[in-house]
Amino acid sequence: MTKSKFDVVVIGGGSTGTAVARDCAMRGLQTLLLERDDIASATVGTCAGMISSGLKYRDEPDMMKICSKEVVYWNHIARHIIAKNPILAPLLDLSDAASDSSYMESYSEHVEERDVPAMMFLTPDASIEIEPMLHPEIIASVYYEEYFIDPFRLCLLQALDARNHGAEIRTYCEVIDFEINDKQEIEGVIFYNRVSGATERVETKLVVNAAGPWAHKVAKSAKDYLPIRLNKGAHVIFDRRIVNIGITVKAMDGRWIYLFPHENTTLLGTTALDTWENPDTLVASFDEIEYLLQSMETVLPSIREARIIRTMTGVRPLVPDWKVPERNVTRGYRIIDHSENDGKKGLISFLGGKLVTCRHMAEAVTDLVCEKLGKDIACSTHEKPLPGNEDDVDIIALSKEYDISLHALERMRARRGTEMVKVLELTKEHPEWKTTICTCEPIIEAEIRLSIREEFPQTLNDLRRRLRLGTGPCQGTFCTYKAASILSDELGLAGDDFLVDILDFRAERWKGIRQSMRGEQLAQEELAQGMYACVGNLDQSDVDYDVKPWEEGF
Amino acid sequence: MDLEADLVVIGGGMAGLIAGTIAAEEGLDTILLRKGQSATAYSSGAIDVIGYLPEASEPISSPEEGLFALSRLYPLHPYSVIGYDDRIESGKIVETIVERTKEAITWLKAHLDGTDAPLMGDFKSNMHPITILGTTKPTCLIQKTMDHGDVQTREDSVLLFIGITGYADFNPSTAAKTYLEDRIADTSPPRIVGHRTVQVMPFGKPYNLSSVELARHLDHEGTIEDLAEQLKGHIEQLGATHLAFPPILGIQNALKNKVKLEELTGTTVFELLGFPPSIPGQRLQRALETIFTKAGGKMLLGHEATSYQKVNDIVKSITATAPRREIKIDANAFVLATGKYIGGGIAGDEKGLRETVFDLGPVTGDYHSAMEIVPSRSTSRLSISPTGQPIQSCGLSVDPRFRPVNDDGIEWAKNLFAAGAVIAGYNYSVEKSGLGVAATSGYSAAKNAIEFIKEVT
Repeated sequence: MTKSKFDVVVIGGGSTGTAVARDCAMRGLQTLLLERDDIASATVGTCAGMISSGLKYRDEPDMMKICSKEVVYWNHIARHIIAKNPILAPLLDLSDAASDSSYMESYSEHVEERDVPAMMFLTPDASIEIEPMLHPEIIASVYYEEYFIDPFRLCLLQALDARNHGAEIRTYCEVIDFEINDKQEIEGVIFYNRVSGATERVETKLVVNAAGPWAHKVAKSAKDYLPIRLNKGAHVIFDRRIVNIGITVKAMDGRWIYLFPHENTTLLGTTALDTWENPDTLVASFDEIEYLLQSMETVLPSIREARIIRTMTGVRPLVPDWKVPERNVTRGYRIIDHSENDGKKGLISFLGGKLVTCRHMAEAVTDLVCEKLGKDIACSTHEKPLPGNEDDVDIIALSKEYDISLHALERMRARRGTEMVKVLELTKEHPEWKTTICTCEPIIEAEIRLSIREEFPQTLNDLRRRLRLGTGPCQGTFCTYKAASILSDELGLAGDDFLVDILDFRAERWKGIRQSMRGEQLAQEELAQGMYACVGNLDQSDVDYDVKPWEEGF
Repeated sequence: MDLEADLVVIGGGMAGLIAGTIAAEEGLDTILLRKGQSATAYSSGAIDVIGYLPEASEPISSPEEGLFALSRLYPLHPYSVIGYDDRIESGKIVETIVERTKEAITWLKAHLDGTDAPLMGDFKSNMHPITILGTTKPTCLIQKTMDHGDVQTREDSVLLFIGITGYADFNPSTAAKTYLEDRIADTSPPRIVGHRTVQVMPFGKPYNLSSVELARHLDHEGTIEDLAEQLKGHIEQLGATHLAFPPILGIQNALKNKVKLEELTGTTVFELLGFPPSIPGQRLQRALETIFTKAGGKMLLGHEATSYQKVNDIVKSITATAPRREIKIDANAFVLATGKYIGGGIAGDEKGLRETVFDLGPVTGDYHSAMEIVPSRSTSRLSISPTGQPIQSCGLSVDPRFRPVNDDGIEWAKNLFAAGAVIAGYNYSVEKSGLGVAATSGYSAAKNAIEFIKEVT
């Protein structure tokens, strides 16, 4: 039964919004999270997942301190979805080395608490031994280590944990209006349910606006104002882990870019372009792809021989500093209490911030929320583990017990930790659900079914975020229709909806495939067209397909 | 090592094998190079001729009708080009185009009779077989195992979609739902559609079953009887008259298995059109290889054409490379049937597209040079739509004798003929014309090559 009155309504299901919902719920507040799409469907879903030591922001020593501390907390509460990547910054001339010495000092200040070695110089030979693809003429490299978290699972686990603590999580619910009284106080939130088509309202006196690149729009629908700086970042994605370790290098404009092994793929990113476009319509441009490839080519000359599978694009909601390049904009965050600027009372907005600090941001805003509600409850989000991080998992024993490949189980463990046992339990009654549905990842049918039952996905795209479905080299060519059948079975969908799910997922995959299409991906797309258009005849289907924001226009 | 032949065919899918068979049957010494698996083997195994005109949304009722329209509207379409040969009288263009395609398709059907992939259907009307998604598509010929009989016309037909536990390539419940909704909208039979799941366990495990495992297993004695036994109760329960299976009824005995299962169950049994890995596609591939070798053609498996020697406007020889050897083959004529991106006949990167054996410059579907196109700019924003992806229409521009031409319209060599997906100007996925163009262009390329060889020898 859906409640109609809440202590606090959180808008946005990204890393910050889900962290706020979790914190509020854990402190016993009646909490509702409203997300217009799915959990982690925007900015955080397009990042590399680095929970950074704050290295890039050495001019902000406080930020570096917070980042480092947060890394320690993440490793305490979510280590099952975290991996450590060693990183090399190869140097091609001495001037690079000189400019890097200040980085080394700031990075090394907090290494002990993060359990990583101090930053060090490596000889060319030692560097090439670690990564043989490096340019033979490098003069040295800098070695350091950073932690990476699965950004999708992080947000989902925060949302699930919030739910476990009594919060309501509503996806596909877009805030369209606020109820505001004569004293300029917020009294309620009105939102459109995109699944049912109904408009709903809830009563609340406090709203936390964590809508990321839409935060200014949310403020506007409360007839308030929030200046923001939106900045586009694109990645190029390769089909496998093409490097042994992460590589960072300065691009032609002096910005740092990176190549990070990420899950079963490798990410090359990022670009930074100020944008005023609708974030839903953005795709990577030819120039962005070339900027990244040309820059990485300086230290990895053979990068173009690797198979590019797609691009992905996101928007950073930055603090609106003018007259500074993106790289110098603070990665600190701002909490805007609109009541302090003669704005609406009860509206609190976020600006800026980073993935690594999302818990910290949530703690700060929840402190403020509690203060406004006249409550004094301590934060515990840095102490209590996220679901699945309760214990170690013995993959080898489980592989023997359930006769499922080690590789499939290890991937499952990296998503679920101890919770993976729930998936395996399902296969006792249904051994046929041990069947691999997405071979790239791989994902077995039981995990898809469990996710549909417990993690509230509505579409194949939501399943992608929860399971990495369709994110490998074939980009869903072979799993789209299989997973759509399972979703249709579990949700009791009509035949037309099954076909729409297939078309929607192809559309979303195509959004990223199209921009970087070349090499093997030409054949991959011929195959996908051959299956879904030629054999399935879906190009001629008369189902109700909604044109996507990035498909509009000519 | 050097070899000599009258004709060398590069590529071993539908287009290449038909070209090779025609030449071998004509008594020519024919060598065919096959690099690896062909796109034909990935196909559904049905032979599309023309299902939709480009950008149209109404299916074409017959290949004949489609070709009449194509030959007038799209004179450069691979079906149309032969009509525009200067040896054809202007009043006979359309007739020539329709007749040539009909000839090729009839030839194919006749030749595959008695193989592992016998065909049915004709040029007079398109059929609408059901796919594993529960959708239907227009096609010209289907394999006899796909014959769904009167399920779409008999008023009291009851169709059961049959799935196999642990075989994820086909989900009978969603297919049943999708198909039934389609039939209700169309107010046509069958009016009752159900779904059931049976157990077939080649290796005793009910999960991760593949099409190949299942098809091989059904070729074994006794398995069809087991299947019939499991189906009996389901059939009685619903009064099923027709049973739809994923396309795994067998590799060598598929048709026999269908007939046997029909006898044992008293129903009409048929295979749905499916996705790769495709057993009917592999049956078709095997059948084409059988007729080629039977006609006396020689096949070099695992050989890739890597270079060529050309003197003036004549290709003298090509060099074929296999993992442990390199062979130079001299021949009087060559057929290039290397396919598009899947086959590897056309390759591309961010700088543009190239033909891979002779380094020819491909063109777009609009016949502009594709040598410097950025592939992403030759695509549509919509992933799956009747517009299709324009990049899939890129390939070689050919003259009415199927010889690749330079940008001045003159043939690149007098004795190089192209066939199949390496040719530009058609998007088989949206037209539903893939294997039909392959068959017809393979047939025509061979006829032209034979004519050329006879002239020079």
